[in-house]
Amino acid sequence: MAGLLDKRLWIVSGKGGVGKSTVAAALALRSARAGKRTLVCEVNTQERVSRFLERPEAGPEIRLLEENLWAVNVRPQEAMREYGLMVLRFETLYKTVFENRLSRQFLRFIPSLQELVLLGKIMFHLQEKLPDGRWRFDTIVMDAPATGHAISFLSVPQVLIQTVPPGPMAREAQKMRDLLVDPSVTAAVLVALPEEMPVNEALELHAALRDKVSLRTHAAVLNQSFPERFTGADLEALQGHPELLAVAQAHHDRATQAVLAGTKLERNLHAPVYPVPRLFTPEFGRKAIEQVMEHLEPLVTGAK
Amino acid sequence: MSTPLAPALAGKRVLICVGSGGVGKTTAAAALALRASADGRSSLVCTIDPAKRLANSLGLTALGNAETRVPATALEPLGIQPRAPLYAMMLDMKQTWDELIARVASPEQRERILSNRFYQSLSTALAGSQEYISMEKLWELRRSSNYELIVLDTPPTAHALDFLDAPNRVLDFLDNDAAKFLLTPALKAGKLGMSLFNRGGYVMRGLAKFTGTEMLQELSNFLLAISSLNEGFRERARGVRQLLEDPNTGFVLVTSPHPERMDEAIHFHKMLKQHRMEVVSLVVNRVHPMPTPSLWEDAATLTPSRRAKVEETLREQQVMAEQDHAGIAQLQAACPGVPIVQVPRFAMDVHDISALWRTGRYLVGDESHG
Repeated sequence: MAGLLDKRLWIVSGKGGVGKSTVAAALALRSARAGKRTLVCEVNTQERVSRFLERPEAGPEIRLLEENLWAVNVRPQEAMREYGLMVLRFETLYKTVFENRLSRQFLRFIPSLQELVLLGKIMFHLQEKLPDGRWRFDTIVMDAPATGHAISFLSVPQVLIQTVPPGPMAREAQKMRDLLVDPSVTAAVLVALPEEMPVNEALELHAALRDKVSLRTHAAVLNQSFPERFTGADLEALQGHPELLAVAQAHHDRATQAVLAGTKLERNLHAPVYPVPRLFTPEFGRKAIEQVMEHLEPLVTGAK
Repeated sequence: MSTPLAPALAGKRVLICVGSGGVGKTTAAAALALRASADGRSSLVCTIDPAKRLANSLGLTALGNAETRVPATALEPLGIQPRAPLYAMMLDMKQTWDELIARVASPEQRERILSNRFYQSLSTALAGSQEYISMEKLWELRRSSNYELIVLDTPPTAHALDFLDAPNRVLDFLDNDAAKFLLTPALKAGKLGMSLFNRGGYVMRGLAKFTGTEMLQELSNFLLAISSLNEGFRERARGVRQLLEDPNTGFVLVTSPHPERMDEAIHFHKMLKQHRMEVVSLVVNRVHPMPTPSLWEDAATLTPSRRAKVEETLREQQVMAEQDHAGIAQLQAACPGVPIVQVPRFAMDVHDISALWRTGRYLVGDESHG
């Protein structure tokens, strides 16, 4: 099993609220510590990664968080401007074309243009080189949107190739698609919780990425798993303490649920599942992220 | 001690459950409608993408905007006789859009619009279009049906703003006088105005660099087709707006005790206030209960190895309960004067009718948490 360190673009997604940003932050930190120049991208959202790592917000400009680790919050307005300038080459021209009301109406309506420029910016940085010919970033970790949005976001290149007449947009889309579907470059990591809906969404996401984007699931992370603690004998012995039995039974049920969820994911995704236990830290900051990182070690290095 | 949701269930005609994805909005919406029907008001819950088991527990199998009565057999486990009928439906976004176009467009316009690929993107991909269409459906239902109460679940929004902005955004978008003004002469001549002296032409050529001329031409055709529907859309949007501001409409803001979800809820609350919409109550779902002192005392009597396991579990519960408690205090401070109703985390996910009923009991204050 190849580790994530062999790939350059790590896409993290899953249902809302399962801890995608936590996993993305942990993976990015680990990549940076492996000596890889790493960029973690959040997509048009309230920034979380920088906060988890207890660093100032990155904002829409790429900003160094610590050694080998940069972050950016990719937002449509800035991404559109960068892309527009690339195409039109002149600031005044850009302003005339893009900053009047009429154009804005048009642009807003061009299907998937917003997603195209957001994804385009990320893909641009994936191919960016330093003057000495090395990649500007060895690893890019994409903290992708949640399930439904992730599917439409990542299928944009494919959709455009099929619907847009040949031209600049279609060419861009083709380039992006080639990188996304290349398993030597891109790996999708799906995050779930040991509950029915998040697991089902991970399966749905897996099928959609496979069918619509030709993107294979590299691995799943089962976040907030409860480890097994109470044996059958323990529960038996607690019969005389109904209230404590309820506490133990609830824990036991959640641990069982985690095992079942892991099995269901493994069977349906045909990919390894890495459990991350639920952490009981009052503050969710850098320390917590480092703990998560330790649990994800085999996913990153590919070690058994 | 009843919560503000009790009088709302008795008096409001529309309740809208809003909040981020994954906080249990659908469950809250279904629990409220169930309770209202039990108490004697005919109710409809309009859900978006419910969990399969939840849909099954309501006897919902048909997709596509069909309102179905929840059968008596589904309610049997409750051992109560609801005093009024309960209906449920699953909203199908695409179909609702198609129906809307059918309503406001003439037959020949309709075909032109439905087959245009830009329409496909409007009905599925335009940011805010889901939110817009769910509001639109609500207005249609409220106008044309006799339910005493309609409870609406809303799409999981990435951004709270989308939800309230959506009608304006879609309208603003359709209201393209500028486009008509600039495009019509050129389009009538069969090509985009390419004169250097025509500012519109200059802009269009810049845009064409971006998109290709063909696409721009097709888009223009679509905009012209749809702009003729403007009046119909606008009138409906005014209706939607009025419905949202109506004193018989209330919002229920659902959140979970996660700090991130709380931040989103606070932001949401601010937006609703700015839009002069009434927040009946905040609902914090899946709150972890604090272990009672008697549990600790009881644990101390166990054999050492079991005691260690139980105490570790209690400590974990305590951390979670403290986190939730701190989060709720912050939420209260950020939304002064808004009542907060807490629903505890049940041992299992809420997917069956009994758990829905129990959730409802907490929502109206028959039982309370903390």
